[in-house]
Amino acid sequence: MAEVFNWQLNRMMAYPYEESRPVRQAAAVFDTNKCIGCQTCTMACKTCWTSGNGQEYMLWNNVETKPWGSYPLAWDVRELELLGPQNWDGDTYAGKTIYEAAAAGEKNIGWIPTDMDYAYPNRGEDEVNVSITTQRYHLKMPHDMWFFYLPRVCNHCTYAACLQGCPRQSIYKRQEDGIVLIDEERCRGYRVCYEACPYKKVFYNHTTRVSEKCVFCFPAVEQGIQPRCMRNCIGKIRSFGFLSRPEEVREDNPIDFLVHVRKVGKPLYPQFGTEPNVYYIPPIHVASDDFLTMMFGPGCLDAIDSYKKAMRGDDPKLLAVLLLAVSTDRIIHRYKLSGETIEAWDENGDKVVSMPLKVPTLERVPYDEDLEVYRYNIT
Amino acid sequence: MVTGQQSLDFDLSTAENSNLITLWGMNWIATKMPEGHWLTEARLHGAKVVTIAPEYQSTTCKADRHVTIRTATDSAFALGMAQVIMRDGTYDEKFVKHHTDLPLLVRADTKALLHAKDFIPGYENDTLTTVQVIEPGEAVALAAGQDRQIVTSELREEWGDQVVWNTRTGAPAVVTHDNTGDNFPRNVDPALEGEFTVTLVDGSSVKVRPVFDAIKELLDSSYTPEQVEMVTWAPVAAIEELAADIAANPTKTLFAMGMGPNHFFNNDNKDRAILLLAALTNNIGHYGGSVGSYSGNYRLGTFGGITQWTTEDPFDITLDPEAPAKSKKHWKGESAHYYNYGDRPLKLGNKMFTGHSHMPTPTKTMHFANSNSLLGNAKGHHDVVVNTLPKIEMIIHHEWYWTASCEYADVVFGVDAWPERQMPDVYGSVTNSFLQAWVVTPMERVFETLDDMQVNALIGQKFTELTGDQRFTDYWRFVLDGDPSPYIQRVFDAGNATKGYRFSDLHESCKKGTPFYMMFRTSPKVLGWEQTYESKPWYTKSGRLEFYRDEPEFIEYGENLPVHREAVDGTHHEPGVIMAAPHPLLIPAQPSDYDLDIDDLSTEMRQVRHVMRTAEEIAESTHPLMADGFSHVLYTPKYRHACHSMGASTDAEVLIFGPFGDFYRHDKRKPWVSEGYVDMHPDDAVELGVQDGDYIWVDADPADRPFKGWQDNPEAYHAFRWMVRARVNPSLAPKVARAWFHFHVSSYGSVEGHESREDGLARNPRTDYQSGYRYGSHQSVTRAWLRPTLMTDSINRKEAYGQKIGKGFELDVYCADGAPKESFVKFTKAEDGGEDGTGTWHPAAQGFRPGSENEAMTKFLAGGYIETQGSSNG
Repeated sequence: MAEVFNWQLNRMMAYPYEESRPVRQAAAVFDTNKCIGCQTCTMACKTCWTSGNGQEYMLWNNVETKPWGSYPLAWDVRELELLGPQNWDGDTYAGKTIYEAAAAGEKNIGWIPTDMDYAYPNRGEDEVNVSITTQRYHLKMPHDMWFFYLPRVCNHCTYAACLQGCPRQSIYKRQEDGIVLIDEERCRGYRVCYEACPYKKVFYNHTTRVSEKCVFCFPAVEQGIQPRCMRNCIGKIRSFGFLSRPEEVREDNPIDFLVHVRKVGKPLYPQFGTEPNVYYIPPIHVASDDFLTMMFGPGCLDAIDSYKKAMRGDDPKLLAVLLLAVSTDRIIHRYKLSGETIEAWDENGDKVVSMPLKVPTLERVPYDEDLEVYRYNIT
Repeated sequence: MVTGQQSLDFDLSTAENSNLITLWGMNWIATKMPEGHWLTEARLHGAKVVTIAPEYQSTTCKADRHVTIRTATDSAFALGMAQVIMRDGTYDEKFVKHHTDLPLLVRADTKALLHAKDFIPGYENDTLTTVQVIEPGEAVALAAGQDRQIVTSELREEWGDQVVWNTRTGAPAVVTHDNTGDNFPRNVDPALEGEFTVTLVDGSSVKVRPVFDAIKELLDSSYTPEQVEMVTWAPVAAIEELAADIAANPTKTLFAMGMGPNHFFNNDNKDRAILLLAALTNNIGHYGGSVGSYSGNYRLGTFGGITQWTTEDPFDITLDPEAPAKSKKHWKGESAHYYNYGDRPLKLGNKMFTGHSHMPTPTKTMHFANSNSLLGNAKGHHDVVVNTLPKIEMIIHHEWYWTASCEYADVVFGVDAWPERQMPDVYGSVTNSFLQAWVVTPMERVFETLDDMQVNALIGQKFTELTGDQRFTDYWRFVLDGDPSPYIQRVFDAGNATKGYRFSDLHESCKKGTPFYMMFRTSPKVLGWEQTYESKPWYTKSGRLEFYRDEPEFIEYGENLPVHREAVDGTHHEPGVIMAAPHPLLIPAQPSDYDLDIDDLSTEMRQVRHVMRTAEEIAESTHPLMADGFSHVLYTPKYRHACHSMGASTDAEVLIFGPFGDFYRHDKRKPWVSEGYVDMHPDDAVELGVQDGDYIWVDADPADRPFKGWQDNPEAYHAFRWMVRARVNPSLAPKVARAWFHFHVSSYGSVEGHESREDGLARNPRTDYQSGYRYGSHQSVTRAWLRPTLMTDSINRKEAYGQKIGKGFELDVYCADGAPKESFVKFTKAEDGGEDGTGTWHPAAQGFRPGSENEAMTKFLAGGYIETQGSSNG
């Protein structure tokens, strides 16, 4: 066993392998305030990767409505119940991770979903946390009756549970970008990974009898193109890029900016201890502080305050970076805000975005003399 | 009717120019998904969003504020806010006086507007400069060449010139169609309140009052916040606060209305009421403040040159691809909803309510492409199938996937699916200004299909073979030659927003992924900008936004003033009544005037029953079926997982359409890998003895649903009575229930499949038609309705394309519509929801559903798995 530093927990923790952060970590920030629950991401992934035999039930990307939605059934409720109530001491996690809570002789806590747990994947869609009553017919911010959408993919964790659980070491994390992959030729379908992953983002294929999972569309990423679920997001909620090692944070990298500088991007259930690399901007309309903290850790309420500050016009840089999401297929490495224009460059140094923070309005002449046509709004 | 043209809307991207965005059953993020980011980014820029709906809906999780209102009461809610604003005087006086009919004088005796000729001897109507007056039958320029509104001399004479009371002189003053906006006479300050006396040309006196005054009396007597709360369920505080916020944001409040509230019989009242609210607060025609009624994608008028394609004279065909077509219309449009209604107009009692210009002809054959809403998903579809189709001799349908329209068509042409079209086409939108080419696909056809256009062209060619007349073929020349782009170019050249573009350039650009921009006056497009900023007149007779309707039919039907009318079926209260205390201008015809019984509350008679009730009376009344155990309003809005009547059609999509998707169909009763469902409040489910996931029967008025004559047709009744999953949903208000509009309906064949196939799929053994239900459908509880105010010959309206204003029927602009799909229903448990047919549906049995949550779920909901909170950011 080794001791590794988990920056999300602000402490050392036990893990079977030595700390070995990738040069840069493929990562994303999802703004839940923009997610429209359209499931385009789900379809973009499924039509590409999981339309084969044995893959029918798989959603490497799924979008669930919180609090009643979950895929597989109650994956997080069950994991939290196994882990038991835990606590934070300020920014430092004072509870047990899924590794630390393991029984003697076990590497981690975990549970195995049944076939039925994968049925009804969008159960809970658009359901509020507590029943509507006449007292709640007029809601203001924050809503004491609420739901929000939680899009989920594999988190390509720094301290992945799937990787450390596999008895054959069939799962590896790439040094160049931190993407976690299953070697399907080495895999024998033991499903230890399936039991271990607290996010239940490893799937077993009953036809091929090996496991599979989100690959962060690494063939695209290697060419500087965003994964399918990221670049097809029509809600424009997903910022995809590379998170720098904590000591190498670069403010003009959108991912570093959102996660380490402005700290609006928070990890999902950081208390599990895997250091997940898909981050979430928490939903500002949800009144349940306890629920949000349980899901996104301490600091999620400050993240909401920072987001609202940008909404008030007091943080043009944050506003600009948020508007950059899904404005190009290319992976953005660097951005710059100059006045009312934001620009972004890819890894090759090519400019891939140049856009205004607001689209200018424009009036045309009522009669175009050259073309001999009258222009109207009411045609 | 307020604006004199089809409807208002604005490019949704203008949201970022607004401060306050009010959404009235307009579930933006679910039904305008590509434009969802404009709403969320507007919030990032500081805008506030308010949702107004009978549920906490998808968009509410992106809103700052939400008001729950009862279904179909948007008009009352808007009028309640208008009352507050008029009461407090927080309206924009200048906008109201110069752009609306609110200062125009109404005669107490005729209830019609006062005309200049009524009291000025020898008055001759003004010569208008904002309108080109033509003689009846005179040809007009193509849309692109029209420099102003166009009207016949006959109609202009009918308009007359209207009158206001000039407070500066204490006398009436004439204001014409020209005098709108900044062209309002400087020396006239029109009264908004008061009653005045005018001497007519014959020497008699008549009392007159401004429209504003008449409306204010109605609102003060019948639409106070307390009264509106009774009828809408919205708390008084919500009414007062939102009204104040809107009034505090002139030019910066957007109003977007959606399909949900539009799908009720008396729906247009809500638009009229919301337009009143917007006009009072100077929120029409501004980038950040205007009105949009988003009921589909309906504005073919963005291609104003479309008549080049639809009305080319078949007796004088132009084969030169560079020359425009010669237009001569040899066909007459009619609303499709007479066929839907049983192929008859609305005749009840002693009156024919369908105007002459609207009168339909009986349907002999139907030939249509896609448009599943014409048959497969028509309102009251099952009634159409049983009672109307047998009268039709032939149905020809084009489709690329097998729908319920195909199930009943005599001939189905398999046509190219949209990604495999080998012919170019063009399209636009009402919610954005993109002009997009349908790029010819590099894909090979999957089957031996043809393009929609080719089917028509080849039929034409066949007619030539049979008759020897070459013109049948020549009409489709460019399609038969393989490239229809000359037709598209003609449309471009004739249209205001498209002239100047070459289609070939557009096609090339779209191949690379970049559309062009429609050349409207502004970008973003906001309908009303020219009226507000350049003082151009509206398309009404007065040139103003009109809130008073003095057409004789509107006076007769009790809608000359803006009112709320209860839904015709989807209400817990007395259906169809007009919400109003007695008012001198509201004296509608009563049932006895039509030789009808006032106590006849049958569904047919309700369409013409103009009974007035106060808010208190409405709140105390009950729907006639309540006595028989009917309990819920059922509404069937549109959602994110499918598009209109293009049903949820692929297994991957329906897997995540709501809660019941299961690829492996552990429950063998499932009609498909997913299925339709009805949402209801948890308390309602308990009261009904229904558990989450159970199958239930849903019944609407037995007089005509699931189809007329069901009592004598057990085979069809067996197929078409609606059985569906119940889903417990805490987001809906109690006593309203919701089902989505999209799932494929049951057909005789799908029911046969469900009962005879080994796998139990509700799939027709012969056609493979796949239904989303075991029995019946959401259309088992709907029916067609015909609304009298939509069928008059009196209404002035701009034509669908171009600047010409006419009267009476106009296809897609003013006609009977098929919107209403409301109902009042009864639920009965049919079967347990457990996967083996017994017990509870698995997720509920496991304790993870509202109403059945186990301890862990309860703890989870409370955030109880983290016991102490962190403080600052790490």
